[in-house]
Amino acid sequence: MLFNKRTERYFVWVFFPLALLMPLFLEQNTFYVSKLTTVMIFAIFVMSLDYLVGRCGLITLGHAMFYGLGGYIFVMIAPEYEAVNFWIYTFYICAIAAAVALVIGFLVLRTSGIYMIMITLAFAQMAYYFFSDSLDFGGNDGVFIYVKPDTSIFGLSLFDLENPVHFYYLCLLSLFNTLFFFRLVTRSRFGRVIDSIHENPGRTTALGYNIFLFRLMAYTLASALGAYAGYLFTLQYGFVNPSMLAWTTSGSALVMSILGGIGTLYGAILGTLVYEGLHFSLEHLTEHWLLFMGALIILMVILFKNGIAGYLENLLERR
Amino acid sequence: MNNNPILETEGLCKHWDGLKALDDISLKFHDRELHGIVGPNGAGKSTLLNLLCGHYKPTSGRIIHKGEPIDAIKPYAYARRGIGRSFQKTNIYPSATCLENCCVAVQRRMGGSFDFLRSRNRQQVLEEIAGDALDKVGLSARRDEVAAHISYGEQRQLEIAMVLATSPCVLLLDEPMAGMGHEESQLIIELLKKLKREYCIVLVEHDMDAVFELSDKLTVMVDGRHLTTGSVDQVRDDPRVREAYLGQGDEVY
Amino acid sequence: MTTSLFFVQLINGLQYGLLLFLIASGLTLVFGVMGILNLAHGSMYMVGAYLAWYFVQQTDSFTLSALISAIIALLIGIVVERTLIQRLYRRNHLDQVLLTIGMIFVFNALQSILWGNDPLGVQVPEAMSAAIPLTEVVEYPVYRIFVALVCVAIAAVMYFMINRTRLGMLIRAGESNREMVECLGIDISRLYTIVFAIGVMLAAVAGVIAAPMSSIVPGMGEHVLIACFVVVVIGGMGSIKGAFIGALLVGLVDTFASVLLPQLSSMMIYILMAFILLIKPQGLFSS
Repeated sequence: MLFNKRTERYFVWVFFPLALLMPLFLEQNTFYVSKLTTVMIFAIFVMSLDYLVGRCGLITLGHAMFYGLGGYIFVMIAPEYEAVNFWIYTFYICAIAAAVALVIGFLVLRTSGIYMIMITLAFAQMAYYFFSDSLDFGGNDGVFIYVKPDTSIFGLSLFDLENPVHFYYLCLLSLFNTLFFFRLVTRSRFGRVIDSIHENPGRTTALGYNIFLFRLMAYTLASALGAYAGYLFTLQYGFVNPSMLAWTTSGSALVMSILGGIGTLYGAILGTLVYEGLHFSLEHLTEHWLLFMGALIILMVILFKNGIAGYLENLLERR
Repeated sequence: MNNNPILETEGLCKHWDGLKALDDISLKFHDRELHGIVGPNGAGKSTLLNLLCGHYKPTSGRIIHKGEPIDAIKPYAYARRGIGRSFQKTNIYPSATCLENCCVAVQRRMGGSFDFLRSRNRQQVLEEIAGDALDKVGLSARRDEVAAHISYGEQRQLEIAMVLATSPCVLLLDEPMAGMGHEESQLIIELLKKLKREYCIVLVEHDMDAVFELSDKLTVMVDGRHLTTGSVDQVRDDPRVREAYLGQGDEVY
Repeated sequence: MTTSLFFVQLINGLQYGLLLFLIASGLTLVFGVMGILNLAHGSMYMVGAYLAWYFVQQTDSFTLSALISAIIALLIGIVVERTLIQRLYRRNHLDQVLLTIGMIFVFNALQSILWGNDPLGVQVPEAMSAAIPLTEVVEYPVYRIFVALVCVAIAAVMYFMINRTRLGMLIRAGESNREMVECLGIDISRLYTIVFAIGVMLAAVAGVIAAPMSSIVPGMGEHVLIACFVVVVIGGMGSIKGAFIGALLVGLVDTFASVLLPQLSSMMIYILMAFILLIKPQGLFSS
């Protein structure tokens, strides 16, 4: 059974059907459809971070670097006025992002704990400054995408990316696939090693595993998926800019991941929904919503350690 | 019994900023033999084990395994060569079942660790081998128990099972009976009697009765230096050994 | 590059480095003694700057403003430690990161509420608004020299305190063995409060004295925090000597890069960090 926790199964069976039907409920309101799409895209990003932090025990504050890279790689390799194939470019972008992750991971994973937190943040800042200072990439304004990719396979057109509802379904599909993929990975033999490294790295090394290599692979995997999320985001609004790489993006993703329940993977969806929901409602009430968010985060750390999923699991999982 | 040592050290030294934890240790360990290492506190026994399994790097001297020097290889490579180690402080995966603990160990040998799509629960051979390791130490009844919930003595047994599951050729056991009562110790002693017929075992222990009962060869270390090596009787009768222990206030008999 | 330009940049670099050292030493102190990585450390730098601006508006005296700001920062440190940081001991890094990120959000929001988002400026105090001539054409601002001297003075005081006083001894002991210090009957929680408050105050004081040198803007805290991280990574966490060398290195590299390689300038210190990470992952002087 892939989703082997009861809570997780309930969540999957409630969330995905609801999400499937949501555009019908919101019929005339593409604003909300687009908002939900953005939330789902970010949930993919948060899930990839949750895997790194919650499953592998690698705390990184620089994951947003790959989010931004997803968009910037696209503008680097895609011709400006021509519609490319979405699926092929997905592959390219994930592959390039993975290559970058290999290099960065090689440097960053030699450290641990506090150092890793600081170094990942610093590298993300480096990427941020690189893109915001560079003229080739439009500096702070970023770059516009003039033509969105075409999603046909063998001539059969699947989604029209200009259509918000189509795009919504593409992202929903991606979200489900991401969750599914990560569950496969965590359940696999590779996942067994990752779990071992997370729980007791000393013992795992003593058994003969090269834990650096496994961490590097996990890092690369998660980063490629983070880039995919960034690529989707870029396609949604038609532009990429340096704020995607800002440390606040990494920081809030981390908050969402913990809010939802660190390490649960499906919790990333919960956390993103709740956080963005709060953000959205608070923003309308006051321009200083950040104050309440900050206070909420502090309270969450003090009181609500296992996040929403943790709380639900406590209620629903019985041995 | 093979006359060539399967594992040996030559002039092994370990210094920590001026403190000599180990000084010029040259020992030979043979296959199918249990080689006990004893000594008062601070003798360097744990340091020796840490060096033999690659956890520490020697300051000077060599470690030779099956004829090849291995002191420069990476820590995880030691285990890959078949040098398995159990720890003094129980070092298992508390949140996993006993079987899963052993599965992690078996998987190292069996491979497939880079398969990230297929479920880990579908590898029957792997689970069989893990189950066998649990059988060997007598923990079959606890297969599906979460490791954190079994008794302390059982956890020590699990430690040994995990090492066995990696199909080692050398077992480095660091005080496997630490903190155990008499009955539990007896179980481990019986287990080790069985195992020493198959593996090269290096046993560091404070429980003197156990060491005398089990060791084919016995080495005494004091203050990081080698005092004497010989059969149990030879060592017991050695006046220097008595002095080393009584001088420290420890009891030998 | 002319010699005089070189000297000006050299002094600029050293002065910036010394300022970074001041900030980084607060960060390292808190981490070394209490094991807490305070991401909101940069926010205290920002708070120091904004407080300085506010009290200069109120009192028209930079000195008075500096004093008041330092005291307020100390009080903020004590309150924050007692209410929030205390709950982080014995908890993992993730919780620390999260709580302190929450604090950053709160501080930034408060800054926006109290003082708005427009850049603010503090005038260099009258007494130091002159400039020392270095060559016939080039002068160097006295105030910047003052800042460098203040940093050195504070560093000296800290050195003295840590190595020669009883409090310093407790700090050093607490760094190596927390439980032992507790067993000795020392009230470790009071020690922690003091250490945290000092750490935070160091950042705030740095913000105060840096205020007249550039404009006070939102986000200045995070910018300096990340520079601090680079300093600590290069120098090695827990090592004051490392923080000192690291800070001077970062200060010089950043300053010279902005003159010699303007396109790459903001990235230079990270490239330096990556390079050092390649050859010495623990930092140059890790303890």
